[in-house]
Amino acid sequence: MIGLLFYAVIALFLAGTVISLPGTARDTRIIRTLSLACTAGASLLLAVLSLIILVSGVPFTPAAWQLFPGFSVDFFIDRLAAFFLFLIGSVSACVAIYTMGYVEHMEGGNRRNLLCGCISLFVLVMALIVASENTISFLFFWELMAAVSFFLVMYEYTQEETRKAGIFYFVMTHLSTLFVMLGIIAFYYASGSFAIAPLHATPVSLPLVTAAFLLLFVGFSIKAGIIPFHKWLPYAHPASPSPVSALMSGVMLKVAVYGLLRFIITVFSPDLWWGVLILALGIASAVLGVIYALKEHDIKGMLAYSSIENIGIIFVGIGLFVIFSCSGLAVLATLSLLAALFHSLNHALFKSLLFLTAGSVVHATHTRDIEKMGGLSGKMPYTSVLFFTGAIAIAALPPLNGFASELMMYIAFFQSVTVVDPLLKVLLFICLALFALTSALSAACFVKAFGSVFLAQPRSPESEGAHEVNFPMLAGPAILAAACVILGVFAYQILTAFGYVLPIPDLFLVSLLLLIMAALTYVVLYFTASHDIRISETWGCGAKSQPSSTEYTGHGFSEPIVTIFSSIYRTKKSSTKTYYDQHDCIFAEGTAEIRLLKFFEEYLYLPIARGATRASARIARIQNGCLDTYLLYVFIAVVAVILFLGWSA
Amino acid sequence: MTADFLLYGVINTLCVVLISPLFVSLVKKVKAWSQGRQGPSVFQTYYTLAKLLKKEVIYSRNASWIMRITPWACISAILVASLFVPLVVVTEPVGGIGNIILFLYLLVLARFFMALSGLDAGSAFGGMGSSREMSISAVIEPTTIIVFAALAFVFKSLNLIDMVTVAAAAGIPVSPTLILIGISLFIILIVETSRIPVDNPETHLELTMIHEGMILEQSGRNLALMELSAAIKQTLLMALLINLLIPWGLATTFSFAAIAVALCLFAAKGAILALVIGLFESSMSKMRFFRLPSLFMMAFFFSTLTIIIEVFA
Repeated sequence: MIGLLFYAVIALFLAGTVISLPGTARDTRIIRTLSLACTAGASLLLAVLSLIILVSGVPFTPAAWQLFPGFSVDFFIDRLAAFFLFLIGSVSACVAIYTMGYVEHMEGGNRRNLLCGCISLFVLVMALIVASENTISFLFFWELMAAVSFFLVMYEYTQEETRKAGIFYFVMTHLSTLFVMLGIIAFYYASGSFAIAPLHATPVSLPLVTAAFLLLFVGFSIKAGIIPFHKWLPYAHPASPSPVSALMSGVMLKVAVYGLLRFIITVFSPDLWWGVLILALGIASAVLGVIYALKEHDIKGMLAYSSIENIGIIFVGIGLFVIFSCSGLAVLATLSLLAALFHSLNHALFKSLLFLTAGSVVHATHTRDIEKMGGLSGKMPYTSVLFFTGAIAIAALPPLNGFASELMMYIAFFQSVTVVDPLLKVLLFICLALFALTSALSAACFVKAFGSVFLAQPRSPESEGAHEVNFPMLAGPAILAAACVILGVFAYQILTAFGYVLPIPDLFLVSLLLLIMAALTYVVLYFTASHDIRISETWGCGAKSQPSSTEYTGHGFSEPIVTIFSSIYRTKKSSTKTYYDQHDCIFAEGTAEIRLLKFFEEYLYLPIARGATRASARIARIQNGCLDTYLLYVFIAVVAVILFLGWSA
Repeated sequence: MTADFLLYGVINTLCVVLISPLFVSLVKKVKAWSQGRQGPSVFQTYYTLAKLLKKEVIYSRNASWIMRITPWACISAILVASLFVPLVVVTEPVGGIGNIILFLYLLVLARFFMALSGLDAGSAFGGMGSSREMSISAVIEPTTIIVFAALAFVFKSLNLIDMVTVAAAAGIPVSPTLILIGISLFIILIVETSRIPVDNPETHLELTMIHEGMILEQSGRNLALMELSAAIKQTLLMALLINLLIPWGLATTFSFAAIAVALCLFAAKGAILALVIGLFESSMSKMRFFRLPSLFMMAFFFSTLTIIIEVFA
């Protein structure tokens, strides 16, 4: 039964890809809809399949495929893999529904058919990575995912910005593949097998095992967007079409998280310092990610930085898991691991919700700059409610799902009192303070985002003429929003149903109390208060009416935070002034500039890139096109071979 | 939900709603005295609320549904949060009610809505208030969480109701480090209730206002709800300080006499704390906005000191 379902899922995904291919010749709507319906259906089946495995807890092993000698594709789905398959399936289904409406408004003629086909293939490949049983097929699908996602990012290749983003993404994602490949090679030398199976380090193989872990960790971190490997996210996410951003940010980053978790849980027996490393990088990504997000005024760029923050939070959970399990605190380790997993699912849901609704907004206003939006809540009421749900969830406010998973993390942090090592204890409390800072800043960030985009008056003619989007573009996000609410309110009940009775508050009770209190207040006010309502102008110090230019903008909103954290932003303020008189009183002219220093680019990426360019220039000098030189090379090579053979004999 | 807890909820909510406006007026009275004025009556806040309820609600033409639901969201979040802090009587917590993190985030929920409503009308005052409020709350958050972690550390519990129960059973501060926590809690109280030196609750000047700026566009019963939720929030933070540091007299059973005594004692202790707050406010000047992080660092220092003392003790 499950086996049949598994093959049906794969067949349906492939059908989604194959259907769209003949359509590339002609621009037909029916083909796109059919292809996306296949993707949605297959994703839904995938979610059902994984839910069955999750509930029953019985691992499932489909038959292996021998593609060619020495390379077989093996699959194995246990509860961990099933959890991530559920995440992929549920989010992709909603994205596919949204895309049915979105794709019809896109530019690009029959290229759109190819987009639909690629989305189907992309989701399939991600699912197969998670289901892989050995490192070879893991790597094979990992590389396929990189390639397909590159095509998706490059959809609007005619634009200069997209091409730059695409190339940047291509380089980074292949750097990730390189590290994963090196890690897998090191792992093979340490264990002697390609199977993803427990590895027992001996004193001899310990350096090799450590190297394997570090290489894999760097590989997965690049893909997940951990600082300092994060730079591709804020380029690639804004440049690609919104459903693709939703899939990449919501789902693809989680595949990297899965990779890390799979190797840490199944393969390695981690050391304490691994946990500290993961925790430190996680907390740095969380804090810096949200601080950069606050500064960003491209709505999708902001969401991309916020993804870095949330991946950081997930890594914090993983780091805590390793630290607690090395300290022998099994209960706390389980709590942190569940928090990391739960936050992965939650982030997938609310971030794809936010990316999709942001896509609707961008479609309606034809701009990504939040300063040119404003006042959309009246023009796009449903989209505004959906975005608002996502904003509450991501700002970790009760009783939604973002809060539920961060609450679990907080509880794990608060109980780290039981860790024995005092230094570790102090480190954990510092991380706790930073974690709280992250969470508060992310609330500020989404007040700014929702406020600038949806509230007050429109600040541009485009925003003035915005209108609500079509049904599929509301239906997809609506399902995601409902999931955010349900997973938050019933978090305690759901975790209990899966057998994890945790010391967390019952959010259902809290939501009930919130409703009761609102109802009681309403009853009291119904009998005591006046019911008159008047609509009037906003008070503007006596001015008759206020233009939208007097509103507070996104830049203005984040200014205090930017000033407080100016040392992190590394903003450079420079000004020159000239005066008419010698006492510097009457100002003649001058320039002022505030520039955001791209810290990681200017101090990390570019030096490496320049070094690589210099090295390759030096190597290129060997290739001078002169026949005599090549003959000399051949001669030297022959002599060297003769000498070497003579030496070894 | 047990009957005991239901009774506790009713008593606690009634107490907090009824006593909160009194504390607000008390602080105002103390400030008036220290300035050599007579000041408004101590019941002035009740009169103001009653007056506001009779007035019509005026919405801006630009305002969306956010403006309309914000007062309800704020008051219900704050009222639920009020269940987390026992004022006069303690009981066995139910279903995680009293969780210290949830308490903090219910306050954040109210703030989130309030900040959005500040942006909603499209007035520059509201935007300025929201922006400053969110910035300050972000900077104070690490301190708050460390103070609460220190509390959890000292009381070996994550539940505020349990903490107060332990404190009430002891009758005196359970640990000397609590005095350090008390200082940090006092700073948090000042920040969260928008008082000098962080914010000035009396003025509507654009240079100083934060909280008042955000609710500038609220009117009628909506304004009454916002004012009441701000008053309740102040009482909750005061109650936290009072009932953890000087818990004696707290009722541990649901007998009428014990609760009446506890209520009188709480009002008296609250009045003293209001006096301290009023004098503190009068003796300070408003700080420059960007100098505030250094004040927060002080609170952060005291709470971290507590934790370090506890860790290495």
